[in-house]
Amino acid sequence: MAWRLPGDNTGYEPVQPVAYSHRLHAGDMEIPCLYCHSGAERSRYAGIPATSVCMNCHQLVTAGKSAVDEEVLLAEEEERPAKRIVSPELAKLYESLGLDERLAPTPGHVEKPIAWVRVHNLADFVRFDHSPHVTAGLACQSCHGPIETMERVRQEASLSMGWCLSCHRDLSEAGIAGKAVHASTDCTTCHY
Amino acid sequence: MHQMTKPKRYWMTRVDRDAPAGVQPEFPTHPQADALATRRAFLKTAGFSFAGLAAADCGSAPQFALPHTQQPELTPGRGYSYASTCGACEAACGLLVTTHDGRPTKIEGNPDHPLSGGATCAVGQASILGLYDSLRLTYPTRGGVRTTWADVDAEILAALGSARQNGRAVRLLTGTTTSPTTSALIRTLVASVPNGRHVVYDPVSSSAIPDAYLVTHGLRLLPHYRFGDADVVVSFEADFLGTWIAPVEFTRGYTARRRAGDQGVSGNAHHVQVESRLSLTGSKADRRIRVAPGDVGHIASHVALRLSMLAGAPLPWTLEEAAVDSAVLDELTERLWASRGRALVVTSSQDVGTQVVCNLINQLLGSYGTTIDLDRPSNQRQGNDNDLQALRAELARGDVAVLIVAGVNPVYDLPDSAGLVRDLERVEHLVSVADRLDETARLAHVVCPDHHYLETWGDAEPVAGVVSLSQPTIRPMGDTRAFIESLTAWSGVPQSAYDAVRANWEQSIYPRAGAADLFSAFWNRTLERGVVELTPTVAAPLVFSGDGLSPVDRVAANAGGLALVLYPKVAMRDGRHAHNAWLHEMPDPVTKVTWDNYASVSPATAERLGVSDGDVVRVVSGDLMVELPAFVQPGQHDGAVAVALGYGRAGTERFNNVGPSWLQARTREGPVGRSAAPFVVAGDGGRRYDGRRITVTKTERRHRLASTQEQHSLAVPGAVAPIGTSEHSVVQETSVADLGHGGHPHEPHPDLWPRDHQYPGHRWGMTIDLDSCTGCSACVVACQVENNVPVVGPDEVSRHRAMHWLRIDRYYAGDDDDVTVAHQPMLCQHCEQAPCEAVCPVLATVHSSEGLNEQVYNRCVGTRYCANNCPYKVRRFNWFDYPREDVAANLVLNPNVTVRSRGVMEKCSLCVQRIEEGKIEASRNGVAVADGDIKTACQQSCPAEAIVFGDLNDPQSRVSTLAAGGRTYRVLEELNTRPAVQYLKIVRRDENESHG
Repeated sequence: MAWRLPGDNTGYEPVQPVAYSHRLHAGDMEIPCLYCHSGAERSRYAGIPATSVCMNCHQLVTAGKSAVDEEVLLAEEEERPAKRIVSPELAKLYESLGLDERLAPTPGHVEKPIAWVRVHNLADFVRFDHSPHVTAGLACQSCHGPIETMERVRQEASLSMGWCLSCHRDLSEAGIAGKAVHASTDCTTCHY
Repeated sequence: MHQMTKPKRYWMTRVDRDAPAGVQPEFPTHPQADALATRRAFLKTAGFSFAGLAAADCGSAPQFALPHTQQPELTPGRGYSYASTCGACEAACGLLVTTHDGRPTKIEGNPDHPLSGGATCAVGQASILGLYDSLRLTYPTRGGVRTTWADVDAEILAALGSARQNGRAVRLLTGTTTSPTTSALIRTLVASVPNGRHVVYDPVSSSAIPDAYLVTHGLRLLPHYRFGDADVVVSFEADFLGTWIAPVEFTRGYTARRRAGDQGVSGNAHHVQVESRLSLTGSKADRRIRVAPGDVGHIASHVALRLSMLAGAPLPWTLEEAAVDSAVLDELTERLWASRGRALVVTSSQDVGTQVVCNLINQLLGSYGTTIDLDRPSNQRQGNDNDLQALRAELARGDVAVLIVAGVNPVYDLPDSAGLVRDLERVEHLVSVADRLDETARLAHVVCPDHHYLETWGDAEPVAGVVSLSQPTIRPMGDTRAFIESLTAWSGVPQSAYDAVRANWEQSIYPRAGAADLFSAFWNRTLERGVVELTPTVAAPLVFSGDGLSPVDRVAANAGGLALVLYPKVAMRDGRHAHNAWLHEMPDPVTKVTWDNYASVSPATAERLGVSDGDVVRVVSGDLMVELPAFVQPGQHDGAVAVALGYGRAGTERFNNVGPSWLQARTREGPVGRSAAPFVVAGDGGRRYDGRRITVTKTERRHRLASTQEQHSLAVPGAVAPIGTSEHSVVQETSVADLGHGGHPHEPHPDLWPRDHQYPGHRWGMTIDLDSCTGCSACVVACQVENNVPVVGPDEVSRHRAMHWLRIDRYYAGDDDDVTVAHQPMLCQHCEQAPCEAVCPVLATVHSSEGLNEQVYNRCVGTRYCANNCPYKVRRFNWFDYPREDVAANLVLNPNVTVRSRGVMEKCSLCVQRIEEGKIEASRNGVAVADGDIKTACQQSCPAEAIVFGDLNDPQSRVSTLAAGGRTYRVLEELNTRPAVQYLKIVRRDENESHG
């Protein structure tokens, strides 16, 4: 068991309410990070996508291919039309929007956001703004690690102030991909 | 270092001036109440114990992140700005409301608005707190019980129906409304009943002005005053920079004219104020003439007579000798005459005769068509006191069946309140459209709460031809309903406020706009911009008729007698915002008193009565009596006792515990201040606010006034001033003649410290023009809103612990009777060689690479050495966790600024959150930060454009140009702190300040 300072959450990999896999979506399907986390280039919060963003695809993609193929074969055998299969994880999305398996509103139609467990969390006295980092051309993986290989999101870096500062100092000298960068080390860059 | 003009000795308090050493003790002394009062005594008695160190938290509970279910249109975390119109008073300034996450957090002015031009006043800035007031009514009530809108509508429609059938009187009593849509709907409602009338009154009446125009021009109107076109301004008691009609617009025009454009100085500008009390406007005047209350009419008559002689058509008047020196009047008249066509004479007197004489003066000076616009009049004061008197008579007779009172509080505003209450109780159906259960709404059977102006659709036409829209910036927080919607419901054709406004615009506004595109495109365009100017309708020009005008008699000399002057304060105005803690805590620009009203007396009168600041006096006139703390006001006329209106409002008892609760906290009782409304004289000619004879007697009681005027003195006593430097005045001034000689070069001081701060990128700096600054304190409140500065309450203020990051120091020069006033906004100077940075043991305050003195809250351990070392006394310590339990009020907090907890030092950060946001936005767009992109909150709100912030490393920026100019200096320059904030000297235009 590695000994860590309090507040250092490297390796934190909590179980999420929905078994969303970045490896599948960001890795195999190569969906760009900013498609879901669109706030990252426009605001201080990258944001977690609203359920409606997931539904862009998942109103049609309701289950894994193998499960769907299985049902199609079974339906052929039984000579009946194929039923719509919804995987249990995706059913949670529909529930969040107050919809049933056929995307019709449930009685009461209660919309409830999915309670994701926050992995990357900075202290309240730190004001981190994603957009200048994205604008500068930093890859998301520079701080978040190889997310596209993770089944479950894991905090790769310590996100400590020293870690932030070392990058700020190095990149201010070296630049990012040849582009000059002014990553300030003034206190009020992050603390105000 | 040489000064061209004789250095003037500025003082903050009379004690300060008269004391031989000249420096007030810095820390307040309070009488020790009990044995536990000193720290030492407390520790002895309470003992001393250590609590065990709390075990460190080994694993924290998981935090959840809840996204939306539907992706919102607007990106969370960004601020979005919507154009709207201010509803805090009738001036209807254009606004840009900044919202975060679907709620407004800051109000800014709309730079596209032709009248207010991007500025706001303190009241407008503070009005956002009124939206989040948890004591607002959030549902309609009937008989004091919550009900539905359908229910109240049914009752009101039944009442109107019955009145319609029986021809009974239906009256609608409102304040001035500049909204064309609301006015149209009111006309519709009134026309729908046979005996209907709309009565308008202003809580602080200006009805004498339109009454006078009826006499001289045949039409009741309020003109549009154009201070920006006037070189010479003479005001007879009108506080046009502080509270009169449209202070934002007037300040902007006045200061722009005096600046003559690009921060130069106009040598032609001159302002004379003739008044009995020292008002904000009087504090800016080049010359003040003190007169007895109510006597301005007679002085004006003398001026009119002299002008008529210069014009070659002398008036057939014989006048008693004026109370002002003949030489002074001659000089004044000659100056006015020499500036014909560029002069403006105004008065706020409620004596119609005085207003008529003022019109005559303006006619002689050719002001009509140049500095006074009658073709496009103002709509900002529509009150008619004659109509109000008639309504009161009807109410007294019991003739009114249905009375709808909307947006005004007559039971509080009007004199003879008890009589009014009796009469209102006899009205069969009293309906109140109020936002809370105020003094009037309490009597109403049905209360229909209106939206806050930030929650509703609306429009405004403050001056004919300038029309702006209001749009909601938040969904209504309660089950309130827009007054526009209520009007349509009660007229029988219910419509939403949006539909009503849009329909009215399509019908009445769009045709006058001369727009090339279709209405829907015009609507969208105007909604985004906020304001549109309509092509003026050419009306028949009004002709002045001077037949049979008579002068105003001199006020009977009442030797030793005192007369009352009632006035609205800059923060509190007529009292409609008495539920706003920020406005209570804003120090009055002239007296620097917070959380109270008082009876101001001149020093001579104070001595005669034997009173000093805080002695409670009893003010009596006939049956009326009020007890108020006295306040000694230099520069006030000896016969005047000035009391502010707007205080003593029911419901302000909520502020009795507004500050932190701790061992020595002194809480107050009762409402904030005392109401002076009973002393208003309501006669046939309209309500009068001056001249009532009173007697003032001292009582034995004292009431501590929470004043900031004796706090944070910057005076450096000669004994400790650095050797070899001369003592520079904190407030410096120059004259028009001296300006022509150019500035003095800033001599570099010999230095121990190397100048080794590098500013490779930006270098932020600020200039503050003391000549333009009027002391209106819009910046003070803007800073409080933007930076989540807490409210501390009167007790803490009196302990020198007000938390305002930006304060305005008010200095006097001269003797007790004839004072010159200077206002100096004081904020963190962001010194290059900051005394605070050198002494922080934990480096919580450091210098940034862009020239800011940074305060890092999370490092601060609360040593307070930095505040001790700061020579400008601008650092504020959080002595307590100031109460923030009101969840609704916390919605106003700016999410971009940390809310500081107890034990942490804070101070002006030059709005570093805005600087960061500006830089990030510029880099996101791939451009460099342009001058003017980043504005500090104080700069953005200032009507006088006195504050300029920008990049000193950019030679083209405004701030660089000003900093290099000849009028700049730094405060306490001899201490060699090298501040980034520089001041522009006041220009004294009147070398011979003669006594009135």
